[in-house]
Amino acid sequence: HPWETVTTAAMQKYPNPMNPGVVGVDVLQRQVDAGGKLHSHRLLSTEWGIPAIVKSLIGTCRTKTYVQEHSVVDPVKKTMELKSRNISFTNLVSVDERLVYKPHPREPDKTILTQEAIISVKGVSLSSYLEGLMANTISSNAKKGREALEWVINRLNAEIEEFTASARGTMRNSMAAAAFVEK
Amino acid sequence: MNSVGEACTELKREYDQCFNRWFADKFLKGESAGDPCGQLFKRYQLCVQKAIKEKDIPIEGLEFMGPSKGKTENST
Repeated sequence: HPWETVTTAAMQKYPNPMNPGVVGVDVLQRQVDAGGKLHSHRLLSTEWGIPAIVKSLIGTCRTKTYVQEHSVVDPVKKTMELKSRNISFTNLVSVDERLVYKPHPREPDKTILTQEAIISVKGVSLSSYLEGLMANTISSNAKKGREALEWVINRLNAEIEEFTASARGTMRNSMAAAAFVEK
Repeated sequence: MNSVGEACTELKREYDQCFNRWFADKFLKGESAGDPCGQLFKRYQLCVQKAIKEKDIPIEGLEFMGPSKGKTENST
């Protein structure tokens, strides 16, 4: 899909069925800088389906984890960069992710995404198994992320088609009414 | 999609609609001048800031988190 389509979809990524854990999205700050780039700072609230009994023990306010996301969209250079980090009350594991969307250099109808993730664990000796597990999860999440955008793009296209169809229907009705009156 | 503050969800939806339209129709086409969503954003932001403080969410590195800037205390 062309870069504009992917970027528009990325700004409206949630909700989507591939990321059911994301329950809230808020814009904390947003501005266009002197260079014409749009900076957005967003907060994503996620919920991981913790069983009710656990929730009642630890209290509902501690079952959400939050992700802070900073995105920069440059409409002239056609780049969108997203940096996100999870913030949570325990702060033991942090995952920093960086995604960059750019038009494909040779095929203008396509967009290239590069994605990297840095996992840090505080105060715990790292076991390579745990690291491997998280790396796998992150790479399958990357695939999920592409599927999620695909879903959003389809939804936006369906909305446009529906809007066009109903506009056409309205015009036909008014033309028929005008023809009737003229007789 | 909901807001982190339940009371802010409606304000968020109004702002999001305005922003998404502006983003696709104006900003990406190089017309970023003008801010049709400014008022909506201010109202929505105030609500979100309050919710974040109430829920004690540790936001890093953003200036808006100064709670008492500009407020003067009355002395009796």
